[in-house]
Amino acid sequence: ATAKTAGDLQPQSGRRVVVVGGGWGGATAAKYVRLADPSIEVILLEPNDRFVSCPFSNLVLSGVRPLSSLTFGYGDLRRNHGVTIVRAEATAIEPETKRVRVGEGYYTYDRLVVAPGVEFQWEQVEGLPQAKDTVLHAWKAGPQTTALAKQIQSMSDGGVFVISIPPVAYRCPPGPYERICQVAWYLKNTRPKSKVIVLDANENIVSKTALFRGVWQASYPNIDYRPRSRVVKVDPSTRTLTTEFGDAVTYDVVNLIPPQRAGTIAVQAGLVGDDKRWCQVDHVTYESVKHRNVHVVGDSTIGIPAPKSGNVANAMGKIAAVNIVNLLNGRPPSPLPPGNTCYSWINDREAIAVVNAYRIDNGKVVQIEQKLTPGPSAIYGQQAVGWATSIWSDILG
Amino acid sequence: AAGPLDGAGSKVLNCAACHGAAGQSRSDAMPILAGAHPVYFKKAIQDYASGKRLSPEMEPYAKQVLVLGLDEIAAYFAAQRREPSRVKLDAAAVERGRTASTQCAPCHGPAGKGDADKGVPDIGGQPPGYLRNQLLLFKAERRSPGDEAVTKMKALLKAVPDDTLGDLAAYYSSLR
Ligand SMILES: Cc1cc2nc3c(=O)[nH]c(=O)nc-3n(C[C@H](O)[C@H](O)[C@H](O)COP(=O)(O)OP(=O)(O)OC[C@H]3O[C@@H](n4cnc5c(N)ncnc54)[C@H](O)[C@@H]3O)c2cc1C
Ligand code: HEC
Ligand code: HEC
Repeated sequence: ATAKTAGDLQPQSGRRVVVVGGGWGGATAAKYVRLADPSIEVILLEPNDRFVSCPFSNLVLSGVRPLSSLTFGYGDLRRNHGVTIVRAEATAIEPETKRVRVGEGYYTYDRLVVAPGVEFQWEQVEGLPQAKDTVLHAWKAGPQTTALAKQIQSMSDGGVFVISIPPVAYRCPPGPYERICQVAWYLKNTRPKSKVIVLDANENIVSKTALFRGVWQASYPNIDYRPRSRVVKVDPSTRTLTTEFGDAVTYDVVNLIPPQRAGTIAVQAGLVGDDKRWCQVDHVTYESVKHRNVHVVGDSTIGIPAPKSGNVANAMGKIAAVNIVNLLNGRPPSPLPPGNTCYSWINDREAIAVVNAYRIDNGKVVQIEQKLTPGPSAIYGQQAVGWATSIWSDILG
Repeated sequence: AAGPLDGAGSKVLNCAACHGAAGQSRSDAMPILAGAHPVYFKKAIQDYASGKRLSPEMEPYAKQVLVLGLDEIAAYFAAQRREPSRVKLDAAAVERGRTASTQCAPCHGPAGKGDADKGVPDIGGQPPGYLRNQLLLFKAERRSPGDEAVTKMKALLKAVPDDTLGDLAAYYSSLR
C-alpha cells in the first residue's frame, strides 16, 4: 500500500494518545499508556529508527564501550505493547483542533505527549552555526559520539582536549564532568603529555561537586578546570575558543556543548514560557500550562525540582501516562512523585551517584532527600550497569 | 478489574528503574523484590530509611516508600511470583556452594526460602552478584552494623572464605 501523505493520516476510531519523540520520556509514556489501558490507541512519532542511550555514551569516548551496546530498536514497543510507531518528525501542533502535523498530513488525538528533548542554541556562540559539522557536541548520542571518540583517539601525545560547558539549565547536570573523567582517564593511560582544559560557564562544578573534585585531585592531574569561562566564540581555522572575558584558548580537539532549550517543536507550538526556552507543566499530570490536553515530559520541562536526566524523563513518562489514562477514564489524577538516580563513571570500573526522591505536597513536587555516594566504588559501577539494564528495558522492553 | 498500574502498582513505578518491572530484576547487581516476605521487606525499608542499612540509592527511595505506604507496597511485591535470575552460573561453584550451605539451612531452610514470620529472607533465585556482595558486606560488618538480627549470621560468615561466599551466592541463585 502506498503511504498516505495528506489529510487525516489514520482516522481515529477510538480514544487515542499521540506521543511526539521516542526518547527516554516519550517511549516510556507510549508504553505505559498501553499498559495502563490497552483500549487506548497510541501512536509514537519518532524520526530515528533506533534508540541510542545518552547515559553510558561517555564511555564510548574512552573506548570502554561501543555505541552498539547502547543502541536499541523500537520493535518490542510494537510487539509487546501494541504501540503504533511512525518513523516521522512532527512538524506542527494544533491544540485547537487537537492535531499533530506530519508534513502535509496530520494525526488527531485526545491527549498529546510532547517529549522532544533539547535543542541547541547554536547562535549563542559566534562561529558555531557555520562549524556544526566539525565542532562536535556529542550531547545527543549517535554519530557525533563516535566521531568525537575518533578525534580523541587520533590526538597526538601532548595534544590538548578542550571541553566547553554551557550555563545551567542544560541536559544532564553531571554529564560534562563524567565526560571529563572519561577523557582524562583515557588520555592519562595513552597520552601522558596531553591535558584536558575545562571551560565551564558556571561558577563551579554543577553536580556532585565534592565527589568530582575529589576524584580529579586524586587521579587526574591532567585536568585544568576553569570556572566562569563561558565560551562566546569558536574559530576552527585557528582552533581557538574565546570566553566572554576575552581569554583565547587553543585546542587540538574540542567538545563544545552548546547552550540548550526545549526541542524545536515545543518552542514552535508555543509551549515554552517567558524564557522562550522551557515548558512549564502541572506537577502531577504534566499537562502544559499553555495548552490543554497537551502534556510535556522530559528535558523540555522546567519548574519541577528534579534534574534534566533520563531517569527523571522516564519517571515523568510513566506518571504522565498513568494520569492521562485516569483523565481519559474520568478519574482524578493520582499524586505520584518522580525519583532520580544519576550514576557517573569516573574511570572504566568505578562510579559515583546522586539520588533524589520526591513526594507530592499540595500538588507540587517536593524533594524528600538527596543522597550522594560517599565516594567512588566498583560496586556502584556494577549497580550502574544494573540500573541501565533495568531502565532500558522499562523504556523499550 | 484492577489493572497492573492501579493502586500499589502505580506507587512502585520508580522502583522499576533499578529493580525491573514488578520487581523482577534481570541484572546481576540489583536484587529481585518479587516474592519478598513482607516482614523482611518492611524491615529492609525501615533500615534503609533510618540509615541502619547503608545504601545511598535506597535511603531516599525508602523514605519515598514510607510516604506512599509501606504495608501496601510490601504486599504488592509479596504478591508477585518470583522469576528467578537468569544470570549464568558456574556449575562447579553451585555444587561447592551446595556443600557449604548446610550451615545456612537452619535459618534459611533447605531451599533458601527463609522464614516469612521471622524475617529471614527468601534468597533463592536472587542474582549471584547481589548475593555475593551482600555476603561480603555482612562479613566486613558493613551491612547493618550492630543489627542484632544478623549477629549470629555474621559470626558464622567471619569464618567463611570469600571464595566460598561466591560459591554460596551461586548455589542460592540456582534455587528455583
Ligand atoms: C553524555 C550524556 C550522559 C548522560 N548520562 C545520563 C545518566 O547517566 N543518567 C541519566 O538519567 N541521564 C543521563 N543523561 C540525560 C538523558 O540522556 C536525558 O535527560 C534524556 O535523554 C531526556 O529524555 P527526553 O525524552 O526528554 O529526550 P530524548 O531522550 O533526547 O528524546 C527526544 C526524542 O524526541 C525526538 N524528537 C525531537 N523532535 C521531534 C519531533 N518534532 N517529532 C518527533 N520526534 C522528535 C528525538 O529524535 C529524540 O528521539 C545524559 C545525557 C548525556 C548527553
Ligand atoms: C537507583 C536504584 C534503585 C532504585 C530506584 C530503587 N532501589 Fe531498591 N535497591 C537498590 C540497591 C542498589 C539495593 C541493594 C542495596 C544494598 O546494598 O543494601 C536495593 C535494595 C532494595 C531492597 C532490599 C532487598 C533485599 O533483598 O534485601 C528493597 C526492599 C528495595 N531495594 C526496595 C525498593 C523499592 C520499593 C523501590 C522503589 C520505591 C526501590 N527499591 C528503588 C537500588 C535501587
Ligand atoms: C542465625 C540465622 C541465620 C543463619 C545461620 C544464616 N542467616 Fe542469612 N540471614 C538471616 C537473617 C535474619 C537475615 C535478614 C537480615 C536483615 O534483616 O537485614 C539474613 C539475610 C541473609 C542475606 C541477605 C539477603 C538479601 O536479600 O539481602 C543473605 C545473602 C544470607 N542471609 C545468606 C546466608 C548464608 C549464605 C548463610 C550461611 C553461610 C546464612 N545466611 C546463614 C539469618 C541467618
